[in-house]
Amino acid sequence: MDEIGDTTQARLRIFALTVLAVFAALTIRLWFLQGVQGQEFKRLSEDNRIKQIAIHAPRGQILDRNAKPIVKNRASIILTIEPEKIDNDRLFKKVAKLLQMDQAEVTRKARSQNVNPIEPRTIKQDISPDVVAYFEEHKDEYIGVELEVRSVRDYPLGNIAAHLIGYLGELSDKERAETEFAGYDLGDLVGKGGVEKEYEDLLAGDKGTQFVEVNAAGQLLRVIDKKDAIPGNNIILTLDTDIQASAEKALVKAIARAKRDKFPRASAGAIVVMEPKGEILAMASYPTFDPEMFIGGISQANWSEMIDEKNDYPLNNRAIMSSYPPGSTFKVVSAIAGLKTGVISTGTTFVCRGRWLGLGKQWGKWCWDRSGHGRQSLEGAIRISCDTYFYEVGNMLYKRGENDLQRWARRLGVGSKTGIDLPSEVEGRVPTPAWKKELNKSWVENQQWFPGDTVNMAIGQGDLLATPLQVANMYAALVNGGVLYKPHVVKTVKGLEGRNIYRASPKKGREFDLSQDDLNVIRRGLRRVTLDGTAKGIFTGLPVTVSGKTGTSEVAGKDDYALFVAYAPAEDPKYIISIIVEQGGHGGSTAAPAAREILEDIYSSNDSDEGSKN
Amino acid sequence: MTRDRKIKIKDWRENLKQVDIVLIATAIVLVAIGVLALYAMSSGEESDGSYLKKQLVWIFIGLILMVALALFNYSSLRNYIVIIYGANILFLFTVFIKGRVALGAQRWIQVGSFSFQPSELSKILIILTLGAYLAERKGDLSDWRDVLRAVVYMIPPILLIVLQPDLGTALVLVAITIGMLMVAGITPKQILILALVAYLLIGFVIKLDLLQDYQMERLVVFFNPSVDPLGSGYNLRQSMIAIGSGGILGKGLFSNTQSRLNFLPAAVRHTDFIFAVIGEELGFIGSVLVIVIFFLIMSRVIQIAVSSRNHFGLLVATGIGSMWIFQVLVNIGMTIGIMPVTGIPLPFISYGGSAMLVNMASVGLLLSIYRRRWS
Repeated sequence: MDEIGDTTQARLRIFALTVLAVFAALTIRLWFLQGVQGQEFKRLSEDNRIKQIAIHAPRGQILDRNAKPIVKNRASIILTIEPEKIDNDRLFKKVAKLLQMDQAEVTRKARSQNVNPIEPRTIKQDISPDVVAYFEEHKDEYIGVELEVRSVRDYPLGNIAAHLIGYLGELSDKERAETEFAGYDLGDLVGKGGVEKEYEDLLAGDKGTQFVEVNAAGQLLRVIDKKDAIPGNNIILTLDTDIQASAEKALVKAIARAKRDKFPRASAGAIVVMEPKGEILAMASYPTFDPEMFIGGISQANWSEMIDEKNDYPLNNRAIMSSYPPGSTFKVVSAIAGLKTGVISTGTTFVCRGRWLGLGKQWGKWCWDRSGHGRQSLEGAIRISCDTYFYEVGNMLYKRGENDLQRWARRLGVGSKTGIDLPSEVEGRVPTPAWKKELNKSWVENQQWFPGDTVNMAIGQGDLLATPLQVANMYAALVNGGVLYKPHVVKTVKGLEGRNIYRASPKKGREFDLSQDDLNVIRRGLRRVTLDGTAKGIFTGLPVTVSGKTGTSEVAGKDDYALFVAYAPAEDPKYIISIIVEQGGHGGSTAAPAAREILEDIYSSNDSDEGSKN
Repeated sequence: MTRDRKIKIKDWRENLKQVDIVLIATAIVLVAIGVLALYAMSSGEESDGSYLKKQLVWIFIGLILMVALALFNYSSLRNYIVIIYGANILFLFTVFIKGRVALGAQRWIQVGSFSFQPSELSKILIILTLGAYLAERKGDLSDWRDVLRAVVYMIPPILLIVLQPDLGTALVLVAITIGMLMVAGITPKQILILALVAYLLIGFVIKLDLLQDYQMERLVVFFNPSVDPLGSGYNLRQSMIAIGSGGILGKGLFSNTQSRLNFLPAAVRHTDFIFAVIGEELGFIGSVLVIVIFFLIMSRVIQIAVSSRNHFGLLVATGIGSMWIFQVLVNIGMTIGIMPVTGIPLPFISYGGSAMLVNMASVGLLLSIYRRRWS
């Protein structure tokens, strides 16, 4: 038998201590993981296990004032790629070929960073039946690719009011950074223009969430919990699709008419029809576009067309996004400014000799009728749109030296947004001496404001710019008792179960008061425009009385722009119509007939159901 | 009661005193915990619980082996040391000739539907041969030549295992060697010099790029698990999430989401990362219970070593103890992120037939040493 020495026993004690140390270390570490950090690891394991999948909310419908649907939803098949396939270039190539897309585009979409990393990435929407059939037959070649049904926009009336409605597009990286899109994923569809954009928050609804258990491969095992999506609200517009349709038709005809009448460059225009307290009944802009082409993402070719200057920018809503010299339609503002400042009275007359020399011989100005109109009262000057009369008014206002004309232009809404509930409205422009000085900061000799500037402005020329909507609103204020209402396109918003969650009411803006005498003179002048004035004969035979004002504005380097603004019935106006045809020539011959066509349509259908149109 | 009968009972009691009940009990409890973990995992798997069935077969064979070795006089093994050593080398060679490749390594020999891992067997054979050699030194290793001879003894098997490559098992052999040398009387100075040489050799190995890429990667990932959260660091991360999420009381048996949903891959959760499953289901309480049982079994091993009046028995017990404590440290340590991921199984608990046989055989040897502690 071997002798086991004390030293060996001592070494075994060291061994025992080592063992003890190991167990102590393991226990301490376990306490740290399970005791101290246990909750955090529990959360991590839940994050592993439970994923959230968004349930898309059906977007709200958009209907006209008579509840006729303009925008609905329809089911569309979309193609998605599972996020765990993000490194599969071979698959991307196949998918790109299947969809006839650029491979880089497929790759970009498949790799996009989403709020929910597990959610399949949308590659293309509105997959055609051919592609669906091919895909279903060759499904096993496309592992990780799925077809899914999603709701997309449907336009039962075609592209009616396309500019006003707007269209949908995928949320961009830039937009996603904004707080307003906090709950959105890349690739979600959002309003990109018009009502779709302006009322995005009301139309979009709230996404639902499905809490699902997944395994490590990301396969869905079971649904643990579900929060239903809340559908978007339906929006009822003030728009009347019948009037809208006739406005669009009338605009196209007006442009064609201008082309026929030796204005071949006429190619664009806009029409606004509103009621006197700001409800927009129609808003047409030409050229127009088909919102259908945005479904499933607009093609590069279509997009290039949309942003090509040669095509006059079809996406541009000219009624609110373009401003023009209002021309003679502005003369009512000059008249009001003259009357309110007292430089003229309702009885004031001026003699028109064709050429006006009020600023000296070298600054002589022509009336549009070079033969002269003779002695004209205010009423007559409006009737035949005498420039000379308003040159005189402008000159007198200039001499007062208080920018009264500018002040009145602003009080009637030019130079500031009307506040309509549509995006991208422009302000127009009211030129002032200060503005001119600022504009020509580096061009000292052009800084001075001349009397001619005010005189030009008095006939709606010069640097003055107004949108067709501003012109309409200006006349609305004239006939509704001097209130500049905030125009709007949405009448009511209906939430779940048809509950009204919003109802528009007339919103008053600036107000002015005009004596009944002053108003009567101006309105008599406007009435006579269609009776025996610059739009004589155009409205004969209509079942409704029409007042209006022609405008033919000069734009440097272009043919004249044709304008007409009308209201009817003349005595108690319900409709205000503002029309512009770019490079369309004379307001009376090009634009005014469009107003007649619209009113004709309104009043022929009104014969049968007078009551329904308020 | 007759007198004969009384004597018989007395004999039986005497015999019972020769059996280390605690050692057997703790070993069986650990095996039972392993079986329970496999059973808990089998519930959520597509597999038919074949892991569990195979493991039960191995356990049965292991128990027979344990009893056989317990009855056998371990001392007589000293007479066959050369044969044992030779057999060890031979087995290790066979994997290169007839081995099955799995997980990027050639470690197994296939016998029917069971495969056997000679490197596991090598552990116990090494303990016996090294024990026999060191026993002759009788607690005195002051002569450098004795130390070097022991080291030279160890090089061929370790090298063969490294070449498979099975870095984990090679490390276990190194740990066994160190543990046994320490108890056999190596001096601190000698340890220091050996450590220095080993350090230089390892540096040399890394410099010459002798390690497999995946081995280097595992080391790198150990030191910084965040470098590659979905690659090599993934298992470690998921294991820590599993154990951590168990909290104090655990999620309960069969409630292991981390392994049921494959976050802990099937390839490792039955073997190397089985402790993660236990930690998730049974929490801190269960984890510490496992550690306490390991502590009990280790205390028995040390007690048996201390009680042995025979250098060979003492050294064999020390070798077995070194093997277990090192495997417990590295295996549990890696599942909780304090040890590199090396693929060392948890004794008695991890799935694996060869390891089970070796561990049961070790228990048998310990029982034999205990029974003959006075001889």
